[in-house]
Amino acid sequence: MKRRWSCYITATRFALIEQARNRLALVILVFFIPLQLLLAYRATGANQVPFYVRAVGRSITVDARSLGQITIALQANALIVGFTMFIATARSAPFDRRLAQAGYPRLSLVLAKVTSLMLAAAAVAVYTTAWMRLYWLPQQPVLLAAGVFIAALVYGGIGILLAAVLRSELAGMFLLIMTSIIDIALQNPVLNMAGAARSLLSMLPAYGAMQSAITSVGLHLVPWSYLALGLCWATGTAALGITAFVVRTRSHRATAPSTHPPATDEAVPVLADPAPTTQ
Amino acid sequence: MRRNGTVLRMRDVRKSYRRRQVLRGVTMDLSPGQLVGVVGENGAGKSTLLRILVGDLAMDSGAVECRGVLGYCPQETVLHDAFTVEQHLRFFQMAYGLDSLQRAYELLGILRCADYLHARLRTLSGGTRQKLNLTLALMHEPQVLLLDEPYQGFDWETYLRFWELAAALRDQGCAILVVSHLAYDTARLDCLYRLDAGTLTEAERVTGDAANTGLTL
Repeated sequence: MKRRWSCYITATRFALIEQARNRLALVILVFFIPLQLLLAYRATGANQVPFYVRAVGRSITVDARSLGQITIALQANALIVGFTMFIATARSAPFDRRLAQAGYPRLSLVLAKVTSLMLAAAAVAVYTTAWMRLYWLPQQPVLLAAGVFIAALVYGGIGILLAAVLRSELAGMFLLIMTSIIDIALQNPVLNMAGAARSLLSMLPAYGAMQSAITSVGLHLVPWSYLALGLCWATGTAALGITAFVVRTRSHRATAPSTHPPATDEAVPVLADPAPTTQ
Repeated sequence: MRRNGTVLRMRDVRKSYRRRQVLRGVTMDLSPGQLVGVVGENGAGKSTLLRILVGDLAMDSGAVECRGVLGYCPQETVLHDAFTVEQHLRFFQMAYGLDSLQRAYELLGILRCADYLHARLRTLSGGTRQKLNLTLALMHEPQVLLLDEPYQGFDWETYLRFWELAAALRDQGCAILVVSHLAYDTARLDCLYRLDAGTLTEAERVTGDAANTGLTL
């Protein structure tokens, strides 16, 4: 247990070092987020827009500038964290596999990835919410941050999942962008107001995040079910990606390679696979 | 120095990629203190065989038994560009459960790579990356060592140092299997096999001056 904990701490430290060395993501976060929020605020008129909030079962009116900023914030952070996790997972896959072969506990590697995802999502959520607070005051700033956090978390999970099934970084980036465009753009006030579309929209990955963020603007209740919906998406996508990681790093030896001389002279057999595999 | 017993035993190992049969019943034993080479053309299945031996790939049929601690140096340098050399050593120290990195530092010194301890991987040459790749396979003092093209990218001096290191490990009782597409320096080996058309046959070693001039079999 102590060894696993030490391995987890080491893996988390190195996962964060890896994240911190993604200069492009840092530049986008530090410079582009404030710029996007500024442009969204200035370019949008000070109109009131109706937006259907499912937690209260009715429409509320939201300042169009706030709505524009929330939309931008959710999409930008989703893409930053999603692509960061995709790149980190894809680029470290062979190395993680070698570590696991050498005896590194796979659980520690997996938990380190999840921890780095949560810390990255939390950091961008706090940073973005702080910038939005300079323009307007939400009723519940913590809930606003939670909405942004969940959107980032969901797309971080999607990033891990895509890294498990795709080989091309370009394909991963393209799929993440297209998914987020469909997801966030479809939740615009026009479609969101249409009754027929609501059930369809509720199946989108960032629906819970958007509902939570909009609720934070002018309402006092906490939409737990929508926060939970977002967390379910994040957990589901990350779990699928991690399952793929575990399957890929499994050893075909009967037991994992030992790092110390065996106590007995027992041999470790390598397992045969009855089904031919592809190269 | 040869010890009794077998630490790695392969029996009738078979492997196909779809319809292409790569290994058609490979059988071989490896004993402690034995330095064995396997040569074969590109695509002959040498790396496939090693990946099966380390458990990275499942075979279709056959049996493999390994006794003792395994060390594996893959053909591709499986390293992480975001980390320094020392961070790689720390990671593998945890993986192997080692108390210290003394042996790893010794190996880097032998391979003339100790000056790069704090360098990020992306700043290193191919040969230096390969030195780290090899160090990661050796730093836990394995009893069975599987090396896939371990000296690719090495300069001549490092190449010679590699063979000195391999001989020292053999003398300490380590069983070493070196896989290469070239049959240089086969006189340094205790035994040489050729992997051809999916089967392994014992080949004659080139000795003396012929081996040192790099003549192939």
